[in-house]
Amino acid sequence: MKKKFDFKKIYLFFILLFFYAPIVYVVIFSFNSSKSLTNFTGFSLQWYEKMFNTRSMMESVYYSVLVAVIATVVSTIVGTIAAIGLSKSNRLVRELVTQINNLPMLNPDIVTAISMMLFFSTFAIPTGFGTLLIAHIVFCIPYVMLSISPRLRQLDDNIAEAALDLGCKPFEALIKVIVPQIKEGIISGALVAFMMSFDDFVISYFTTGPGINNISTYVYSSSKRINPSINALSTLIILAITLVLIIMNVIPLIKQRRKRHEEAI
Amino acid sequence: MKSFKRLAYPYIIWALLLIVAPMFIIVLYAFTVEGNGVITLRVTFNNFVRFFSDPIFFNVLVKSLKLAAITTIICILIGYPAAYMIAKLKGNNQTIMVLLITAPQLINMLVRTYAWRGILLNSEFPAEIKVYIGMIYNFLPFMILQIYTSLSKLDKSLITAANDLGCDNKKAFLKVTLPLSVPGIISGITLVFLPAVSSFFIPKLLGGGSFLLVGNLIENYFITTGDWNFGAAISLIMMVIILISMYFTRKLDYDKEAR
Amino acid sequence: MEKLIEFRNIVKKFDGQMILKGINLDIYKNEFVTLLGPSGCGKTTLLRILGGFLDQDEGSVIFNGEEISNKPAYLRPINTVFQSYALFPHLNVYENVAFGLRIKKMPNDLIEPRVNRMLELVGLDGRQKRAITQLSGGQQQRVAIARALVNEPDVLLLDEPLSALDAKLRKEMQQELKRIQKEVGITFIFVTHDQEEALTMSDKIVVMKEGNIEQIGTPTEIYNEPINRYVARFIGESNIIDGIMKKDYLVNFDEKDFECVDYDFKPNEAVDVVIRPEDIKIVKKNQGKLNGQVISVLFKGVHYEVIVETKKGASKNITLHVLEDKDEFNIEANEKMHASEFSMDIEDVETLTDGELIARANAQAWTADEEEDISITEVIHEIKNEVGKYEVTFKTEKGSSITTHVNVVNPKAITDEEENIGIQAFDVYKTVDEIKESMAISVDLKTWADAYAWDLDDESQIEIDDVRYDFEPMEIVPGDYKVTFVTEGRTYKVHTTSNQKEGSMVAIDFGPDDIHVMRKGIE
Repeated sequence: MKKKFDFKKIYLFFILLFFYAPIVYVVIFSFNSSKSLTNFTGFSLQWYEKMFNTRSMMESVYYSVLVAVIATVVSTIVGTIAAIGLSKSNRLVRELVTQINNLPMLNPDIVTAISMMLFFSTFAIPTGFGTLLIAHIVFCIPYVMLSISPRLRQLDDNIAEAALDLGCKPFEALIKVIVPQIKEGIISGALVAFMMSFDDFVISYFTTGPGINNISTYVYSSSKRINPSINALSTLIILAITLVLIIMNVIPLIKQRRKRHEEAI
Repeated sequence: MKSFKRLAYPYIIWALLLIVAPMFIIVLYAFTVEGNGVITLRVTFNNFVRFFSDPIFFNVLVKSLKLAAITTIICILIGYPAAYMIAKLKGNNQTIMVLLITAPQLINMLVRTYAWRGILLNSEFPAEIKVYIGMIYNFLPFMILQIYTSLSKLDKSLITAANDLGCDNKKAFLKVTLPLSVPGIISGITLVFLPAVSSFFIPKLLGGGSFLLVGNLIENYFITTGDWNFGAAISLIMMVIILISMYFTRKLDYDKEAR
Repeated sequence: MEKLIEFRNIVKKFDGQMILKGINLDIYKNEFVTLLGPSGCGKTTLLRILGGFLDQDEGSVIFNGEEISNKPAYLRPINTVFQSYALFPHLNVYENVAFGLRIKKMPNDLIEPRVNRMLELVGLDGRQKRAITQLSGGQQQRVAIARALVNEPDVLLLDEPLSALDAKLRKEMQQELKRIQKEVGITFIFVTHDQEEALTMSDKIVVMKEGNIEQIGTPTEIYNEPINRYVARFIGESNIIDGIMKKDYLVNFDEKDFECVDYDFKPNEAVDVVIRPEDIKIVKKNQGKLNGQVISVLFKGVHYEVIVETKKGASKNITLHVLEDKDEFNIEANEKMHASEFSMDIEDVETLTDGELIARANAQAWTADEEEDISITEVIHEIKNEVGKYEVTFKTEKGSSITTHVNVVNPKAITDEEENIGIQAFDVYKTVDEIKESMAISVDLKTWADAYAWDLDDESQIEIDDVRYDFEPMEIVPGDYKVTFVTEGRTYKVHTTSNQKEGSMVAIDFGPDDIHVMRKGIE
């Protein structure tokens, strides 16, 4: 029995090792003093310095964040409104939109990407920041709707009517009654949208224009040469994500403790 | 509420314009001769004839499918025991393990693949193995989490019932746990096989420029060569193959349920 | 009283189905009106049209003399208590009640006393800070009422608000609602399918059925003078008996004349007579209006429900002839044959053909080894136009033959003059296999015998209630069996507080004003 337990532990340990090895590797070699990606020759911050001095690299970070933020805000608002409208539509319309939304979620990214690229070209829209942003909004909205729709389904059918009954205009009813109740769905939808947008490579690669790179397309285009400052950039991203994860897991804990504290009083 | 229904209309137009129409444009390009399909509109099947008559293209397709299939199988073989073990952990440890497996996924796929490039740079592995490592690294978490979800939803009393009815642990696993986790495996397969077939940056970053999969073909024809019509035809062929394989995977699931 | 709401010919369709078929209804100020009917009768639809949540297809809604059909819900001086309460879970009790006032941008210092007064009215004072999810069903109900009433509407709509509560709480809330309505002095329109709820609370009850209004009246009117069978059945339990209105104040049912308080019918008009179970008294034999036998007693908590049979049902005996299937094997010709005995109506003899005989006897021939069908080439018989038993022989080309019997019969109906019931059934001829294959022997026997009972006066059909036979269908052997078809007698349901012995002979008694005569409605 004891032995079996150990085997389990070892197996899971190796799985985690496999998942974390490249991350640890990137962090270590971002501090390497030489350009080598295999020999750690000594500690240095030169790649960080180089990263901050490479304008195109800093720009890619800027665009990644900017596109992710705008795409998240827009797709969350549009997705929320669309999901609410859809929840009150008849089944046929609902089914139709669900199927359409499934297209970008189930199709390989590369198909969505070239479909957007061909669309922009057909209507002679020059690629660049605008097309990149539109493409991101297009593929983010279905994820937002996917996370809101189940909440809407749980909503009491009469709740919007109750608000109107008590004197709300339709828009007021939306903001004061419906949105607060699907808040969690909206937040998780926004988080998913942000992650999808920030992480995206394939769709960005095909829909962005000259001079506009996000982190993914920058890494891809500079992968031909060995460039350890990418390790530095990766380390920063890893750091940022680790911080966000810690905060997200700690905040509920603090909240819980405060609540318990209040209850004790 | 009658007035809220209207809120969906703008999005329906948006979705028809920016999701459905672009898909049709792919089809349009695939069946037309060079250049912008909307303007020239000269219908042809040449793009497809070209793809299937040249063994190079066909071999790339077969290679992609084989690679995706093997990746999927390896992910099941490694992922199932892992998911099973996680599901057997104590409640709190389960959450921690799931978080530990999810966390690296939050980091940009390109960045993680780039890291593997560094690790494998001077290794003696052939290009194919490097690509497999990259694929499994990227897609294994999907498989583990999908199977884990279906296992953790499994009613523990079923195992007890099976034991009660005379199954030893091994039999209980084969007769109860495994069949009931099939839906998890199926959704794991769709989450691994699908992106694996169409992947193009993993083979490019890890396999080098000469290692071609369908995704790389599409990329080349769109970015490098600029032959969008042929590129569109290749995407269409890939889409059809994926649709067919998804249909059969789903059917497997339904048949299982029907039984 | 002042008219507040007028529904004028309201029609509403859903998916081509008429939910409301032209409703006309007036509602007055300070009334407690109940829309009563089973689910699907359109009562909730009517309420939602008034609330402004649905548009009618035709007709108009007039409120205080003003047509309001195009007014959106939020502009109507009407508030609703929803069946599901539809409380806002993200707001606490106080904020839920204050919601409507906040929307109207009322200053805080005016909101507070109103909300608190309302919570006091519904008995929830001191629970202001509670979360909605922490409340019981009854408390949520009260919040919903307070939330609606705090806006001082002219009308409060209540859509089956008590349906989610348990029986005890429901009783309590019924009293409570009535009290609140009196205290605030506005019109309440209450939708329910529960007749008891309607009777205890309402000033006026509107009974609805399939998109139409059946009857409008006070609870007493509706209860005592239901306009037709439907309303009588829906409101309370009742005995509904077919009767004849001889003349004003005299009705005949159960072959007896009774004085009653009803008038204004055509002479000898067929009517439905309603007698409420609690209006009937059980007395000693020969001392009441009708004699009868107690056939069942059920204790219902407070009272006994006693069934008294005043009239036995009629019956008809027939004979079931169970016949043998016949098989013949002609070894020489290697042929097998089959034929069954059967019976036929004497009227059919004249037009009899060979083909019909083959079919009715189910005569068949086939080769013994390969089971191939062989045609029957010859039918020999001497059937005459007379009742009797005749031989029939079927032959094939190779000379195989089989002989069976045909019973020519002349069926007769029986009428039972004393019970005023006609009942008819024919003897039945069936094979063992047919009996064994029957899935529901009682139903099949009725069909085979063409058993039918009717009222000798008006020819209306009477249900055959019981089929009695003394054989075990699965183990039946050829022979003759007696089968009896019995109709239901006349029974009265009586609610009484004194226990009765089952089987005892009693009489039932009721007065002229316990008899309610209704015109026959279409059911």
